[in-house]
Amino acid sequence: MPTVQFNLSDLENLVGQSIKSSELEEIVLYVKGEIDSINGDEIKLDIKDTNRPDLWSIEGIARDLRRYLGNDEIIKNFNVDSSGVSLEIDKKVEKVRPKAIGAVIKNVSLSNYSLKQLIQLQEKIHFTHGRNRQEVAIGVYDYDKLNFPIIYTTVDPEGLTFVPLDFDKEMTPKEILKFHPKGREYGHLINDYPEYPLMIDSDNNALSIPPIINSTYTGKITTNTENIFIELTGKYLNRLSIALNVLVTALSERNGIIQSVEVNYQKEQLITPDLTPKKFSINPNYARKILGLDLSKNDFILLLNKAGYEGKFKEDAIIVEYPAYRNDILHERDVIEDVAIAYGINNILPIYPEISTIGSINPIEDYSETIRDLVTGLGYQEILTFSLTNKNSLFGKMKLEESNICEIANPISSNWSVIRNWLMPSLLEFLTYNQHVEFPQRIFEVSDTVKIDQKAETRTVNIKKLSCMLSDVNAGYEEISSILYAVLSNLGVEFRLDPLNHPSFITGRAAKILMKNKEIGCIGEIHPSVLNNWELNMPTAGFEIALTYLFP
Amino acid sequence: MFILSEEGKKYLKDGLPEVNLYSLLDKDPIEIDHAKDKIKNFSIGLIWGKKNGWITIEGSKILKLRQKEEYILPLALAQISKGEKVEQHNLDLLIKRKLVIKEKKANYRKNQGDITSLTPELIQTRQWKEFNLKPYNVKAVGSRIFPGKRQPYTRFINKVKRKLVELGFKEMTGTLIETEFWNFDALFQPQNHPARDWTSTYKLKNPEFGYLPNKRLVDNVKKAHEKGISGSRGWGYQWDPMKAARLMPRAHGTCLSARTLASNKEVSGKYFAVARCYRPDVLDSTHLIEFNQIEGIVVDESLNLSHLLGILEIFAKEIAGAEKIRFFPDYYPFTEPSVQLSAKHPEFGWMEFGGSGIFREELTKPLGINIPVIAWGIGIDRLAMFKLGVDDIRNLFSKDLKWLRESKVVL
Repeated sequence: MPTVQFNLSDLENLVGQSIKSSELEEIVLYVKGEIDSINGDEIKLDIKDTNRPDLWSIEGIARDLRRYLGNDEIIKNFNVDSSGVSLEIDKKVEKVRPKAIGAVIKNVSLSNYSLKQLIQLQEKIHFTHGRNRQEVAIGVYDYDKLNFPIIYTTVDPEGLTFVPLDFDKEMTPKEILKFHPKGREYGHLINDYPEYPLMIDSDNNALSIPPIINSTYTGKITTNTENIFIELTGKYLNRLSIALNVLVTALSERNGIIQSVEVNYQKEQLITPDLTPKKFSINPNYARKILGLDLSKNDFILLLNKAGYEGKFKEDAIIVEYPAYRNDILHERDVIEDVAIAYGINNILPIYPEISTIGSINPIEDYSETIRDLVTGLGYQEILTFSLTNKNSLFGKMKLEESNICEIANPISSNWSVIRNWLMPSLLEFLTYNQHVEFPQRIFEVSDTVKIDQKAETRTVNIKKLSCMLSDVNAGYEEISSILYAVLSNLGVEFRLDPLNHPSFITGRAAKILMKNKEIGCIGEIHPSVLNNWELNMPTAGFEIALTYLFP
Repeated sequence: MFILSEEGKKYLKDGLPEVNLYSLLDKDPIEIDHAKDKIKNFSIGLIWGKKNGWITIEGSKILKLRQKEEYILPLALAQISKGEKVEQHNLDLLIKRKLVIKEKKANYRKNQGDITSLTPELIQTRQWKEFNLKPYNVKAVGSRIFPGKRQPYTRFINKVKRKLVELGFKEMTGTLIETEFWNFDALFQPQNHPARDWTSTYKLKNPEFGYLPNKRLVDNVKKAHEKGISGSRGWGYQWDPMKAARLMPRAHGTCLSARTLASNKEVSGKYFAVARCYRPDVLDSTHLIEFNQIEGIVVDESLNLSHLLGILEIFAKEIAGAEKIRFFPDYYPFTEPSVQLSAKHPEFGWMEFGGSGIFREELTKPLGINIPVIAWGIGIDRLAMFKLGVDDIRNLFSKDLKWLRESKVVL
């Protein structure tokens, strides 16, 4: 979830009233905010809604709170005059990054603080709404350094040079992808194409290589910048419009004047930004049913207003208008939730649903639970270990040949890169952490393991297993096989043991466990070289059985 | 070492009954009844006298058969009582007649009859009467033993499961590996969402792709994403079935709810799952890359927002033992409206307990469900940490045998 950092004093200025930090927690509930930290004037606020970019800036948060506290109109009216400048879209961009729109903000006077806020908002939009720049990339420029129209086109990776932000020498786009940190981070979005996207002005000054980096000359915004040109590129116009609307309305909270840009595609012209409120229709009866509240027409209108909607009844429906920067209205439920928040969630009476049902534990889970109790009664301590492990633990240390195993493509560490297919290595690993603890050590675990099964829908099946392990000076086959016998005979399972050659066990002291003729597990004394691999010094014996196969 | 039994000691003192009987017969045959009165343990004397060939019975009288040879047994008894050795066959005979017993422990007789251990022999031979059983320091506790015990976290989860069953919930289970279709797409999570990024979600390298379910279901989900369904605008992007078929270790238990909903039209009821879930997080004292989630659904035509609050409230009271509760608006990608609950525990204060919401119609409609579905989840790891007094989440999967052995079983 996005975290917004701001100063409380700035919030008070923007809202137009003083807010005690003790009240803040309560007020921010309205924007689904949760305070992460308060450090003097500096506040970090988590915004839980990942679908409302308009709330990822302090300017946007303040606007909603201002209305909530009754200090502003329901839907703020933004004047948008024409700037008279245009953005020309070359057909060549279609295959790479087809859409672009823009806007102009005049009369900005940014302090270091508000500049930081702008950068913060840009980052949040890039990451979440812009799907990490894949769908939305923002370029902000000093308007007064540009010669319009701006052309959005493509360029040969070695077709021009400019000085990218944070660097001091001219580079080709290809070099930027190779050497600039942003190029390395986002280069994968464009480097498969023969030509890269390019924003360039009428004097052949490069603005940027979207979605990677701006040029230093045109793209560096400072506290001295008076007027701003913003362009956004991406895949889908609706996502771009939301992002642009969020940005320009945030800047207008700092007294910027929003002006539109003509965007000329081959066959159509767009005037952006378009801040006309959007409309949606909701069914009041459906809303009453979902909320469990018998709201009157008047209640609806008042609650909608409080939530930032204009509402009008039209026959059996309510037509609601909402600001053009909101991205989250997909379904009438989205409006209904806002009505509930305006009503106050804590004002709704909780009712436990009176649905008569019979509860039950899943049979295999119930069976596992019985077995856990049984093995506990035999004096074994239950343990719980992670199912993520690595090939060295499952195979190398156990002296086994590698077999087909469920493997993670993007592990955070090679230590947790596969999902285990048996439990014994985890039990041995557990023992290694407890070499200083009193012996004898008797442990067991019942857990799911994963087996590859090409026919299954997920090409894997869960196999629930039990493994018991005994580690002591005299640990050996005799005791562990009595435990196995006690477990299986109490479960009414008839089994036999057949000698087994298994590299993890001592030769002649291991067996496969057979139920009728199906192999359900193995038992034996752990081979001393395996013990050495795990740095264990005590004789150890264990068994493992697949409960999934035992389950009647 | 052998010693005389009580009977043996008596015979050493009074003479063996067969010898006494023989002596009585020195001159003439006598009446049995008369001998019975005169000789202690008469029947034993009669048996051994006959066995030795000294006497016989004729009618009601006992008569001497021949002159008795020198009889070694009285001497043997005397020798054993002094701790001297006797011939093996005599010893065997005395043992057989239970006149001599084996002395097991030398300390039986030491310290003028003070002994520490009571033995089966002492009890059986009544010899314990001759000794004094030494008193112990009863204030001292014996050496530590470690019982077979349940792991505290699995025991806690089991307890919560039972509570849910009491509340009428039915358990759902499923595979640890899921297709993205069930983990995300069927839940209306757009394919380009950052939560589905390489950095936020695990993917599998082997096996890489699973199978998609039936075409109708897949088409419905595709439509919900691309153009919207049930009055929704949808996400407005091009849905890719290949991405949906990718396999991943499940990131939440909600996929089990989606499968339950899709499996059955007559699905009305209450369901829960304890799901092992995986996320590529940083492993630290508050985050695990592998954790358990308890979540579920309630499906019924009659449900609304107040029921959602009611479910959270009863869970907080029944499961967390909360006294006071508070609801907060929240955002979950699959539900709208969504509510989070904080509960005030008598000991631990306010804590985030769980969340709930009504599944979006874009989720339920493609699965064939036309009635409200309340989805809920409990922050079970946090709750377990509080209840078990664990301040590092990694210790829920404790590696410490000593702690497991010593942790209390009271919850």
